[in-house]
Amino acid sequence: MDQTSTLEKVLRRVAISLVILFFMFPIFWIVLMSFQTNETILRVPPSIVFEPTLSNYVALITGRLETQAGTLEVNFMSNLWNSLFLSAGSVAVGLILGIPAAYAFGRIKFRGSEDIAFTLLSFRFAPPLLVLLPLTIYFQKIGLADTYFGLIWVYQLIVLPLILWIVRGYFEDIPADIEYAYRIAGHSWFSTFRKVALPLAMPGIAAAGLLAFIFAWNNFIFALVLASADKQPVTVGALAFVTASGIQYGQVAAGIVLSILPTLALALYAQRYLVEGLSLGAVKG
Amino acid sequence: MSIQLSDVRKSFTNDLVLDGVSLDIPTGETLVLFGPSGAGKTVLLRLIAGVIDPDGGRIIVNGADMEGVVPEDRGIGMAFQNFALFPHMDAHANIASPLTARRETRSGIKARVKEVATLLKIDHVLAHRPMELSNGQKQRTALGRALAAEPSILLLDDPLRNVDAKLRFEMRLELPRLLKEQNATVIFVTQDYKEAMALGDRIAVMGDSGIVQIGTPEEIYLRPSSTRIARLFGDPTINLLDVVPEIGAHGPIIQLSGREIAISGSYAGAVGQACSLGIRPEAIHFVEPGAPGAFPVEIEAETPLNEKTVTLAATRNNREILVSRPSGAPGPDRGSAHVAFDMGNALLFDLATGARMIGTDAPANEMSK
Amino acid sequence: MSDAVVPAKRKGFRISPGALPYVLSLPALLVCIGILVPFFTAVAYSLQRYRLSQPWARRWNWGENYWNFLSDNSFWNTLQVSLTYAILTVGLELVLGLCIALLLQKRTRFNNFVSIMLLMPLMTAPALASLMWKLMTNPGFGILSYFASLIGLEDFRWASDPSTAMLTVVLVDMWVYTPFIMILLLAGLRSLPKQPFEAAALDGVPRLFVFWRITLPMLTPYLLTATLFRAIESVQQFDIIYAMTQGGPGDKLTVFQVEAYLNFFQSTNVGRSAALLMILWVITYVLSMIFIKQWLKLRERQRGEA
Repeated sequence: MDQTSTLEKVLRRVAISLVILFFMFPIFWIVLMSFQTNETILRVPPSIVFEPTLSNYVALITGRLETQAGTLEVNFMSNLWNSLFLSAGSVAVGLILGIPAAYAFGRIKFRGSEDIAFTLLSFRFAPPLLVLLPLTIYFQKIGLADTYFGLIWVYQLIVLPLILWIVRGYFEDIPADIEYAYRIAGHSWFSTFRKVALPLAMPGIAAAGLLAFIFAWNNFIFALVLASADKQPVTVGALAFVTASGIQYGQVAAGIVLSILPTLALALYAQRYLVEGLSLGAVKG
Repeated sequence: MSIQLSDVRKSFTNDLVLDGVSLDIPTGETLVLFGPSGAGKTVLLRLIAGVIDPDGGRIIVNGADMEGVVPEDRGIGMAFQNFALFPHMDAHANIASPLTARRETRSGIKARVKEVATLLKIDHVLAHRPMELSNGQKQRTALGRALAAEPSILLLDDPLRNVDAKLRFEMRLELPRLLKEQNATVIFVTQDYKEAMALGDRIAVMGDSGIVQIGTPEEIYLRPSSTRIARLFGDPTINLLDVVPEIGAHGPIIQLSGREIAISGSYAGAVGQACSLGIRPEAIHFVEPGAPGAFPVEIEAETPLNEKTVTLAATRNNREILVSRPSGAPGPDRGSAHVAFDMGNALLFDLATGARMIGTDAPANEMSK
Repeated sequence: MSDAVVPAKRKGFRISPGALPYVLSLPALLVCIGILVPFFTAVAYSLQRYRLSQPWARRWNWGENYWNFLSDNSFWNTLQVSLTYAILTVGLELVLGLCIALLLQKRTRFNNFVSIMLLMPLMTAPALASLMWKLMTNPGFGILSYFASLIGLEDFRWASDPSTAMLTVVLVDMWVYTPFIMILLLAGLRSLPKQPFEAAALDGVPRLFVFWRITLPMLTPYLLTATLFRAIESVQQFDIIYAMTQGGPGDKLTVFQVEAYLNFFQSTNVGRSAALLMILWVITYVLSMIFIKQWLKLRERQRGEA
């Protein structure tokens, strides 16, 4: 690779620059928009020179949107809160349910374990509406419609397979002898699980938890179908916000920035595990 | 604590590993399980430890049936071939793990760990994690963990396998004393026959999904029940010569290098059958041409080893035999020579099945290494 | 020997070892059964004439919903749009992702930094990504509309124009998901053994030949995994399209899930909606079975190397 020609080097640089431009520009532009007033946004031609303002963020955080027509109440912050609550709740429930199951599938290997594990995995790939549409009708009947509980339950559809399959791989990678040794030393299976298996699988659990959080946060369709305005997370809320605030583009941009910021931050933090998580444990990064 | 196994069977998805193994190990004995890899030695240990369950048969420890008894209740100490140390705990916590399970006092645990570690000469690395330990230190930590709670049953799964030659040699000398001090019933798995002979009160040779012979090291060495076992013990390996016993003037004889050599009268039944004569290299001696039983050979090569010299010699009809003598003992190193077999230590095996022929007198001589 | 513990069965409640795995996985299974029930309900709906607006007329009509699809132009449109979308996105993302992975193959600080940066679109919620692009393609102030006008495309209307709507959503999909393929292939490329490449370099084998004959075949398992994974998700894409155009303009972008959603909530035709989803389910099921096999192979391989 050292004897590459200058031309190739130049071409490579140009290609990488184009790639960075394509993938980074939208984020860059939306961030810029979020610091602008409608006035500067609507300039023709567009320019990156403007006087930055925090008014969009202030409006979102205080929940009062100043428009020509008057003051508009927005509950965008409650959308953010809903996202946080739903994602964190789903991950917590997913970990509580998923870790013991992952241990059972990965370590103990019992009759039918592979079949069950694959059934769970196939949920990950089924069209979500297939389950969601009948569920709306059921949820109406049993009073789970538009409740956090119902939503967190349905979120398990994406959270649980992810946690199950990533954590299972980590449990499988612990040599059985290590657990045997702890058992033989006189500890019950539960204390072996707690003191040996859990600590050794902790990196996987953390990775699965972070990824599950990101996926839950980014989910759109579940809440769109099952949640009304006061339970909506940001993904659905932002869409409604666009129609509600109409032409307040700066605030829409600020809303988007606030909504994607947490997942981007988490992703940067967890990037070491992303490859593994995204491929459900098939590819190690 | 005694251990009894009766008709223990275990298979893994169509692979029969143990087909009806029965064993009786009295309290305080050190039994060596010896055999090639895949013979089921480790599986047998795991069955006794209770981490896997047998498909059938009974495992009885000190009179109590172990069926349904979980590993943590069996009061067993075990050391693993790959050490199986807890990577997230330091050596101290590793060794202490059997003690914490018993809810002993903190100071009691500390004292006991210190004691074991001092005995094993690893008291200076107790604060280290397994990752920071040398292989030898890991092995000693694993051993310490097995010994810490003074278990009455100690299962040692080839604990010297993954340490270097020097350490293995040291431990082979050190272990018997250590084990005797424990006063425990020990099952020791190994693939090294010298280790087996040095450590075992008895040796159980495993193969073909079960135990093929069990006995004291002397018995196994001097009276192996088949050519296969005979070949597993001894270095250089036993000489096996195809012979057909005949009727001689004073009893059964065999033809070797054009000479008739008398064999024990109890082998009369083998006359006319295709046999394998097994004779260990150290039971062949260089002698003067006229000595009783002497026959001529051509020396082909000589290899001096540490404590012995091994000579490769060919008989008249070009059968190669190995002769071993203690280093320093005089012997020819080239040309023609005469050797004689110590027939008291010769064995006859059925050539077809490899089984030792019954009717042999007990070999008279002391075992020689 | 100190106080020898006589082995004895402990008293009190214990889970028998045989039942343990079932006990451990039971909670997760119960939650999933809650998901299986609606699945079977959906199967039943697909075999019924069922409109939310006419609950009294609900009855079994067995295969009629499916049978009607044969002569239903809008169904064929849905199928065509879904497949076009899936093939376009997966194909383009595969090529682009592979190119980027090759560009970033060398483990330098800069390359690692770029590959981490490229994860940002992937971590953006697809629905929000659509909104971002919507803002950028706004005919009034959208920066992309402005760029289009700069290169002579006056009044380029992106997603609101039937002829460019598909292009727009495919672009958003590429923006979000190309990094997914890139990151998988990059991991694959970096895990390939070095010797064949060193040997080829020593022998002066042309680089293009090396790529076709060594790199690509060795990368195949990763390519297959990434392709199948994306195909399964892409054929059921909802978020990007719904957030961008809600299936419009007209029926230009009514992919399966969007069409089913509209059928359910707008025309309240539950039967047809469920039947559409069943057909989508069959497609994804077949794909996911192939995927799981491929995925297992890859996983096995990775574990073998570890």
